[in-house]
Amino acid sequence: MNMQETPDTRRRGLLAAGAALGATALLPRIAPAQGGAKKFQGVTLNVSTFSAAYPKLLQQWLPEFEALTGAKVNYDAPSFPVYNQRADLELSTKGSAYDVVNVTFIYSSRWINSGWLTPLDDFIRNPEFTPADWDVNDFLPGARAPETGKDGKLYGIPWTAEALLSVSSRFDLVEQAGLAFPDTTDDLVKVLRAVNKKERVAGFVADSHYGWTFVPYLHAFGGDVFRKAPDDLFPTLDTPEAIAAGEYYANLIREFGPDGAVTYTPDQVTQALKLGRVNFSDAGQLHLAQLGDPATSKTIKTLKFGLVPKGPAGRFPGTAVHALGIPAGSKKKEAAWAFIQWALSKQTTRKAVEAGYGSPARRSDIDSQAFRTKQVINGNDLAQLALDSIEQASKSGHMKYRTVSVYPQIDQQLNKAIALIASGQANAKQAFQQAQAQSIAELKRAGIAL
Amino acid sequence: MASIAALRGPGWEAARHRAFLFGLAPSLAVLLAITLLPAAALLVASFTPLSLTDPVGTFRFDDPLVNYRHLLADERFLGSIGTQLKLSVASVVLQLLVGLGLALLLDGKSKVLGATRTVFLIPMVLPPIVVALIWKIMFTPDVSPIHRALEAVGLPVRSLIANPDTALWAIAFADTWQWFPFTMLMVLASLQMIPSDPIEAASLDGATRWQLFRYIVFPHIRPVLIVCGLFRLIDSFKAFPLIYVLTDGGPGTVTEVTNYYGFIQAFNFSYWGYASAIAVVILAGVFLLSWAVGKLGWNDHDRR
Repeated sequence: MNMQETPDTRRRGLLAAGAALGATALLPRIAPAQGGAKKFQGVTLNVSTFSAAYPKLLQQWLPEFEALTGAKVNYDAPSFPVYNQRADLELSTKGSAYDVVNVTFIYSSRWINSGWLTPLDDFIRNPEFTPADWDVNDFLPGARAPETGKDGKLYGIPWTAEALLSVSSRFDLVEQAGLAFPDTTDDLVKVLRAVNKKERVAGFVADSHYGWTFVPYLHAFGGDVFRKAPDDLFPTLDTPEAIAAGEYYANLIREFGPDGAVTYTPDQVTQALKLGRVNFSDAGQLHLAQLGDPATSKTIKTLKFGLVPKGPAGRFPGTAVHALGIPAGSKKKEAAWAFIQWALSKQTTRKAVEAGYGSPARRSDIDSQAFRTKQVINGNDLAQLALDSIEQASKSGHMKYRTVSVYPQIDQQLNKAIALIASGQANAKQAFQQAQAQSIAELKRAGIAL
Repeated sequence: MASIAALRGPGWEAARHRAFLFGLAPSLAVLLAITLLPAAALLVASFTPLSLTDPVGTFRFDDPLVNYRHLLADERFLGSIGTQLKLSVASVVLQLLVGLGLALLLDGKSKVLGATRTVFLIPMVLPPIVVALIWKIMFTPDVSPIHRALEAVGLPVRSLIANPDTALWAIAFADTWQWFPFTMLMVLASLQMIPSDPIEAASLDGATRWQLFRYIVFPHIRPVLIVCGLFRLIDSFKAFPLIYVLTDGGPGTVTEVTNYYGFIQAFNFSYWGYASAIAVVILAGVFLLSWAVGKLGWNDHDRR
């Protein structure tokens, strides 16, 4: 989505003019250049993130930033996997194609600790670049942690701190069966047996990115990805606990999944839940918040959200943080920081929350009345569930596996292993032993001493 | 004439030769820069453990065959070669059969046949990603008109791309849909160049339609079919958009061809040295197969 190519330039011009008029008290303060000229007049910034709710709002509000600073912004927002591949390649070559990028959670350690991003502390500390009331400490400490490098510097400003939650889109069917929302892995199977294929609604589906959706179950069964991330990265995918978790989870997909369940993308899962074709799933809060849209969701009156189920070893909700950062190769770092500072200022994030944005990373937004009231969907407090999950994750530290630099390699082994079991090509033991062997080979290739 | 030759002499020939070389030099330099240098860079990278997470530390040649040794022990890579061969053979054979069959049916001069030929060319001119999206819809049971129609007549079919027994066939089918027009077009051109005399003579001698095809038409179009097969075979090694959009190499690894595996190693994990070694193996394989297929009959006319 290249903003320069937007056909509706007149409307954009009017918006820019309107924004310029109002851009004094309400908008974030960005230091003007001497002599009254706009500080970044003539600068063109290339911004890229994956497509999601917050980036979509930023794209709408770009005229404000452009009116404030004089900079032009090209905002590119492809889908999540496409963005990651593109950004990973661009950052690895230290190219200057992008000035602001999304620091994707799973890649954060790899990008930060390889020196591919710019430390932001100097920009934050310098009053010439950042007003004192911008307040970096307002961002949740748990959200800033994955954006912090081994050198202790901050490399990304979080725009989302989200949690993986459970959902039932047709909870009415569960109630008809006289059951409650499943709290444990055993309860989940009991409920799915009772409701699967009732009224042609499949029981369960998950995004086929199992390296994200399966891991809470792996932890719940007492397994883990590494022996002790981030210090001991020996993979532990062939433990009895991991195999049991794999067997359990793949069976959910095989026994209760819709046709073609192993090919479902996040958007397909969201659509299936909105249309009531599938009852249960686990999905990120960003996706689940879309189920509350009365214009597109047919299941808004029958929704029920909950925490991911508890297993024999406890409950381990998945959490993710995404941030905005500046590539090391950018040649317009000051303007890039001005963009990030504007995009994640208190004023902009609050405006996003008021527009219905569902997973802010500023504490002041999370505690605001505007946010809390909007996050109640069909009587479920999505925000509270997410906060509970994030708090749980920060206490137990079970998400540390996710930000080690080699996790993308292991992530894909988990995707393959679950698909192998769910499609009947291997049993859990074979699939997870294979994943273990291949993970070790991948880690050795990455030069990690095991 | 003899006096002109004497005037020119060997010195003149050498000067002419040098002038030709001088004239050709810029294009040779460009050719070298845009084809051979990248290929050489690929080969050089394949002898290093180059990873973009640490490009300086990993661009070293202390163990130049490390990637190739790893490849021999990498089950996923070895499996991907088998998958590649299955996909290539299945899709090329299907494309040749369908393309040949339709070319024979559509060989004629009527306007209807002309219009039909044009319609059949559409898949070939579509961008590959559009073809992949079309088949993503066709193979997704919830939205697929094919699945819905089959269900309506009481013959429901499970998702083809989620089933490990059918996923590769589904990709071969979609690839055939996109590329059979290429064979059809080439064969049609060849059919239109068959002289009518031998066909008329054989018909007068009482040859059946099958005999006409077997002994006159097929020998004439055989070199074209071999060229088509060769082109499509080489192209089949580049299979990417269909796999990327439809299956992501799955379920498991049943549709993960070598090309796709190399892509994952390079662009998902940044192992450029290892991915370069995979690319070198693909390159060698394509050369070898092209040579072998060429031997099958490419020069039959010359030999006869």
